Amino acid sequence: MAKRIVTDAVLAAVALVLFVVEAQIPPAVPIPCVKLGLANIVTVWALMRIGAPDALGISLVRIALGSLFTGTLPSFIFSLSGGLLAFVAILLLKKLLRENQIFVAGVLGAIFHNAGQLIAAAIMYGTASVFVWSPVLILSGIVTGLFTGLVAQLLAKKIPKTIGQRKN
Amino acid sequence: MIKTRTWIVIIAAIAVAAAGAILLIRFFGAPGTTAEIVKGGEVLYTIDLDRVSEEYEIEIGSGDGDRNVVTVKPGMICVSSADCPEQICVNTGWASKDRPYPIVCMPHDLVIRIVGAGGEADAEAE
Repeated sequence: MAKRIVTDAVLAAVALVLFVVEAQIPPAVPIPCVKLGLANIVTVWALMRIGAPDALGISLVRIALGSLFTGTLPSFIFSLSGGLLAFVAILLLKKLLRENQIFVAGVLGAIFHNAGQLIAAAIMYGTASVFVWSPVLILSGIVTGLFTGLVAQLLAKKIPKTIGQRKN
Repeated sequence: MIKTRTWIVIIAAIAVAAAGAILLIRFFGAPGTTAEIVKGGEVLYTIDLDRVSEEYEIEIGSGDGDRNVVTVKPGMICVSSADCPEQICVNTGWASKDRPYPIVCMPHDLVIRIVGAGGEADAEAE
């Protein structure tokens, strides 16, 4: 149990550092929601390798602390809705994916992360017009998700299976 | 189990569909030429961009670090300057009938959207 808490805490810290560092880089594309999403590497890896409760915990801790360090209340709500929708989407698809198909989870996660943010924006701003952005965000989600997903897949290959593995 | 190649085809198909949708948006544009400036869920201004003859600016915000300057030209509208940190609203550029992507300033809770008919040439407060 102690080992599990330590592993999850370290992973949350890694995700948080990736998130804070990425937040310092000016946005490359002038479109709301478009960013690489480096912290999702950790979420995807944890979800595929450790398990759903741990991945959810890591993700929630990262979102809460990340918003505290870099963001505002709206950015917390966007992060949370995106993060949760991405989590549920990957969780549902997880059983269909093999070890060498983790990149698919990355793509799915990125697309649904953007979808969650758009839904939150539509509700918060009271306008469905933000959905005009959806094809652009789906495309950008595929590109960024392929990147983060492939990194997560490479990590799954390189990191020994004993890490994050539970005895029971 | 689904083959890796099948997954790649599925992802490629979604990418093609999204690219197609972007082209459709480019060709058909918005149903009208009216821009609405929405802040905090309320429509502040309604402007018919087709009836704008001269360029002008509107300042939006309560002056408490939530300033956006909106520039209106014949057929087009953009946020020309803002005091938000990321400047996404400024960098998004012009919105018009051909380019009906809403301009969003997340920190200031501001959306400029292109909608159907209605509105005046001059910025009209609702």
